Amino acid sequence: MDFSLNEEQRHWQTEARRFADEEVRPMSLARDQIADPRATFDWEIIKRGSQLGFRTLAVPKEWGGHEADFVTQTLVMIELARGDSSVSKTFSQCWKWSHLVAASCTKDQKERFLKPFMEDDGYLLGKGGTEANAGSDNRMPPENDPKAGWKLRAERDGDDWILNGSKMFIANGSVAKLFFVDARTNPDVGIRQGSTMFIIPKDTPGFRIGKVFNKRGWRFYQNGELIFENCRIPGTNVMGEVNGGVKARANDKSEFGDIELAANALGICEDAVGMAMHFAKNYKRAGKLVIDHQLVQLKLNEMYMLTEALRAFVLRTAWERDRKLPDFGNNVLVMNYSQEVVQRVTKANMEIHGPEGCMMHARVDKLLRDALVWTHLAGDTVQRVKVVKRLPDMPLAM
Amino acid sequence: MYDLQLTAEQLEFRDAVRDFVTREVQPAAIDPKRLEPFEKPLMTELLDQLSQMGLRGLAMPEVAGGAGADLLTCCVLLEEIAAGDVDLAMVLGETAVLARAVHEAMNDTQRKRWLPKFEASERFHLALIARDENAEIGWSYHHAVPADADVIGAPEVVAERDGKGWTLNGLAPFVSNAPVAGLFIVQAKIADGPGTVTVLIGSDAKGLSIDDELPAFGGGGERARWHHGAVAAVTLKNCKVGEDDVLAADAAHRLLQSGLIARRMVQTAAVNVGVARAAYEAAVDYAKIRWQGGAYIVQHQAIGMKLADVAIQIEAARALTLKAAWITDHPEAVGDRSVNDLPWHVVARTFTAQSLHRATLEATECFGAMGVMRDMPLQKYVHDTLVLQHSADCDLAAPLVVAEAVAGYSRN
Repeated sequence: MDFSLNEEQRHWQTEARRFADEEVRPMSLARDQIADPRATFDWEIIKRGSQLGFRTLAVPKEWGGHEADFVTQTLVMIELARGDSSVSKTFSQCWKWSHLVAASCTKDQKERFLKPFMEDDGYLLGKGGTEANAGSDNRMPPENDPKAGWKLRAERDGDDWILNGSKMFIANGSVAKLFFVDARTNPDVGIRQGSTMFIIPKDTPGFRIGKVFNKRGWRFYQNGELIFENCRIPGTNVMGEVNGGVKARANDKSEFGDIELAANALGICEDAVGMAMHFAKNYKRAGKLVIDHQLVQLKLNEMYMLTEALRAFVLRTAWERDRKLPDFGNNVLVMNYSQEVVQRVTKANMEIHGPEGCMMHARVDKLLRDALVWTHLAGDTVQRVKVVKRLPDMPLAM
Repeated sequence: MYDLQLTAEQLEFRDAVRDFVTREVQPAAIDPKRLEPFEKPLMTELLDQLSQMGLRGLAMPEVAGGAGADLLTCCVLLEEIAAGDVDLAMVLGETAVLARAVHEAMNDTQRKRWLPKFEASERFHLALIARDENAEIGWSYHHAVPADADVIGAPEVVAERDGKGWTLNGLAPFVSNAPVAGLFIVQAKIADGPGTVTVLIGSDAKGLSIDDELPAFGGGGERARWHHGAVAAVTLKNCKVGEDDVLAADAAHRLLQSGLIARRMVQTAAVNVGVARAAYEAAVDYAKIRWQGGAYIVQHQAIGMKLADVAIQIEAARALTLKAAWITDHPEAVGDRSVNDLPWHVVARTFTAQSLHRATLEATECFGAMGVMRDMPLQKYVHDTLVLQHSADCDLAAPLVVAEAVAGYSRN
């Protein structure tokens, strides 16, 4: 076994750490404390990160990207998330879909969409699946209910498609220039058989952004409502095959979305661990340094133990993906595990900081709020149940 | 006998409060217009209406115009209010616990002077400025509290002799109920001698100033407000207090030593139960109408297990809270060995804070992404339970007080 990083991995890790320390972290709290969810976003930090290569990290070299491997992507997400979890997510959201573009788009689509994505530092990507009445059903459609899942309808009109309906909580919703949108093209069968994925530029007539959701955590990150009213999409914007939307996604074997959440959680944990250790070494309770209390030593031990276990698990999973080893579920398991870890570690950070009269350190508060987002993203019961199908095949010797 | 069957009177009072909270308080508290902004001003009209129901003077003796309720009854009612709005419950709980204690500590002249003012306006609340000697005491486990142990945010008020009265100077950075108080009970350190003096100061007294309420984010954005109820800093600048408003030394000692803090902690545990209950009830309602996975989600084992766990945590926390309240009301039960001699207020407060944060998170998980949206109440309930785990009476070291009791350690 060899856990050492290669030169390229180390280079990106160092670059991301510097960017996070010098540019992301200093703006993080101020953005978090803006009340209007539309106003928390900061284009300057995105453009700056893009110039450093973080927006296009995952794009194949053939298309001008850096084609960083999964271990590198993981390392960068951890570092950026240590600066600000939701800034990290804004960048990695673009990698997620550049994997998909690379895996499932035609050459013409890559020319039309990947090229401008590469050239424009403010070009972000989003993907619309979730709807008001279709959350868990999209991820694990029930066999006994073909109507379950997204309802957004796409009907053929000559060579075009007409879309009607809406999407909810869509990541990068108010800031992305291009969306991948799941729609029903055959409402009589389940979504696995009856869906098509459409590539939709932001300025398409009949498509607009509605509400921007106001979240407790990840306040910088933009989750929006996508509204389609007789929105005309050319047939050339179908990704993969008609009624093959789910398959188009399946072509992307990276399972990146799962590793992404685990890596991001690890960045938050590192931040929390660093804060707790700093506090413990510099402040006193009952006349002695906080770190000299056994209670705190045990908490710090727990925080480090969980964080290091998550690091080992997420990097191993990324390494497995780089080697294209069969995926028997580690990606999901590490994501599920990250939910518990990020919540326990951020809470331990709160317990070590303790009360300051009626106040709490604002960053301790922020980390707890960011960690709350994992409740439904990474470790909900649907995610946990869904992976069980794959577990019987998991080799025990791995 | 420990008996949890409420009397007809208690049930009637509880149901009246529950009904008002369901009809008036909760809809206002979870209105997205209130939930979304960082600042949540106290809902003073509802506070006044709850006060008119007799909740300020709940624990005062009936001869003084109060309801004469024991701590158990106070807890039952505070849970109801907190299920609607945690801030209203904390403000009323604070006034109720202080009204009982200060009424007992006052002499007849003082009662004649202050009681009519308390009765005349439902907006007249009470606030306490005093150092809690047991704050953060768990950090001194099995040791004397060191002289330099400093509790961040503790009040620093000094009193100088001024004829037969006193002149007070100092700052109390975080005073619960300060924005709504008509009367402050202030404990000050005597400037040129040992000991303290405890005095009564009206909110309109010259030399007493109340700051604005703490903002959601203070200290240049480095500090987030973590507090329930209404809180503000109070400054005393050459504030003169006449002899009449000085509490007798033994009465003052009793006021601060004989269980005021313990009562407040048991009440806070009851408030905590109310917050978790609101999250639980919301989760049950939602699970019954949300259709995913080919069924109402309440029909899935995964959600059923969560709801069961939340229900069990809440019942366990409530049982412990009411038991702690009952033992406070019946100290003889400790004396005759019916129950263990433990700091029950700490047992109830710490268990409740820990278990109900977990329960509230589980209730929130039933809502998926809706659980973290600020226009929905679940994220607030989670935050509220975290704040309840965070105060000088309930921090990482707080449960160690129980270990000291078990081990028979005594500081005195």
